Amino acid sequence: MRDFHYLEPVSVEEASRMLAEHEDDEVRLAAGGTALILTMRQRMLKPTHLISLAKIDRLRGIGFDSQAGLRIGALSRHADIAKSEVVRQHYPVLASMAERVANPQVRNQGTIGGNLCYGDPSTDPPACLLALDASVVLGSSRGERTLPLEEFIVDFFETAIEPDEVLIEVRVPPMKAGAKGIYSRFLRTAAEHRPLVSVAVVATREGADWRDVRLTVGASTPMPMRLRRAEDFLQTQAPTAAAAAQAADIVAQDIMPISDSRGDAEFRREMVRVVARRSLCQLFEISEEGSA
Amino acid sequence: MTTHRIECVVSGESHSLDVPTGRMLSDFLRDDLHLTGTKRGCETGVCGACSILLDGEVVKSCLMLAAQVDGRNITTIEGLAEGDSLHPLQESFMKCGGLQCGYCTPGMIMASCDLLKNNPNPTVEEVQRALSGNLCRCTGYTQIVESILHAAEEMNHGN
Repeated sequence: MRDFHYLEPVSVEEASRMLAEHEDDEVRLAAGGTALILTMRQRMLKPTHLISLAKIDRLRGIGFDSQAGLRIGALSRHADIAKSEVVRQHYPVLASMAERVANPQVRNQGTIGGNLCYGDPSTDPPACLLALDASVVLGSSRGERTLPLEEFIVDFFETAIEPDEVLIEVRVPPMKAGAKGIYSRFLRTAAEHRPLVSVAVVATREGADWRDVRLTVGASTPMPMRLRRAEDFLQTQAPTAAAAAQAADIVAQDIMPISDSRGDAEFRREMVRVVARRSLCQLFEISEEGSA
Repeated sequence: MTTHRIECVVSGESHSLDVPTGRMLSDFLRDDLHLTGTKRGCETGVCGACSILLDGEVVKSCLMLAAQVDGRNITTIEGLAEGDSLHPLQESFMKCGGLQCGYCTPGMIMASCDLLKNNPNPTVEEVQRALSGNLCRCTGYTQIVESILHAAEEMNHGN
């Protein structure tokens, strides 16, 4: 690995000033480092300066308020989110997603902030957080701003973060009374820790029906995305296996899957269809054949 | 070469030294501290042979820089035995034949340590899930799982 300077700011402002100061160099932020160090070992990145965020207390902790919702500090590790009592109680879908990320070792080291800033689509958190209508708080020496996750994720490995900004925390609004979330994924083999397909759906039960549907697909597309046509369709439907299948067809139609060595576009499209149908049946609490 | 000062405890022994900023934690343990029980396998975060405990939690030392462990407490496979008496997991892997070539064993045992600390009575499925970050190229998984279940039993009986 190439030689680099290792910097340890203790505040967001200090980190931001360091980023600005080294703007002309190759400078990278390190949270847990699980993804970053791999790219450095493979020489895809050759930073001259590495800024460790580990000493910035502001980026730590998970908190919940019934009005404001959930706050997840950027340095929270996937294991912290999976174990958090408030997450398990108020956002069980998020806890269930977090406890499946990669493998135990990576969950003990990798962070939610690092995951989102890296912008790798083939991971679990982005699609799940998008379905939960999450936002990110970005900070710099110029101040702070909040961006919906949908605007933060711009493209394949690309985010809206400015060169001098640090992701401070993720915010998730409170789930409505009667709201439920399902996060499902498809792995090509049990040993592969990156999903080939992921589907998240969050909706609110109103009588026998499910409304306020947010349905997202990740891992199969260049970036996680909401499927609005399928969401709108579901708003008008009774929760049946036929509706789930039709919505899954709309989802499969509306995505532009990526093609790579792990799976070509048509394979991914078919698996998205399957996972979407199963997720919706799970939400509706019915079998795929239609019986309750 | 740019260096970074770190102070850490490795298997009970304090270290204070300057490490090159680009030094991987796995290389630091093996090449600088000569603790060669921790193995380098894939070096890309897949195989788990380099697993260690960091403040009591299992992580992969090939995915970390030595600079990141300043102020932290590390346990490697060398730190499990107490004097001449092996850790129950080490005993159990021997007794149940939980190894063939043995290369993955230190990582398997460190991952199991983390599991049994949080879940002293795991089911087979829970053991399998806890080992999902560790590969055995000899494919000796059945006996590895048996070794861990047996160790759990021994530890619960205070043996």
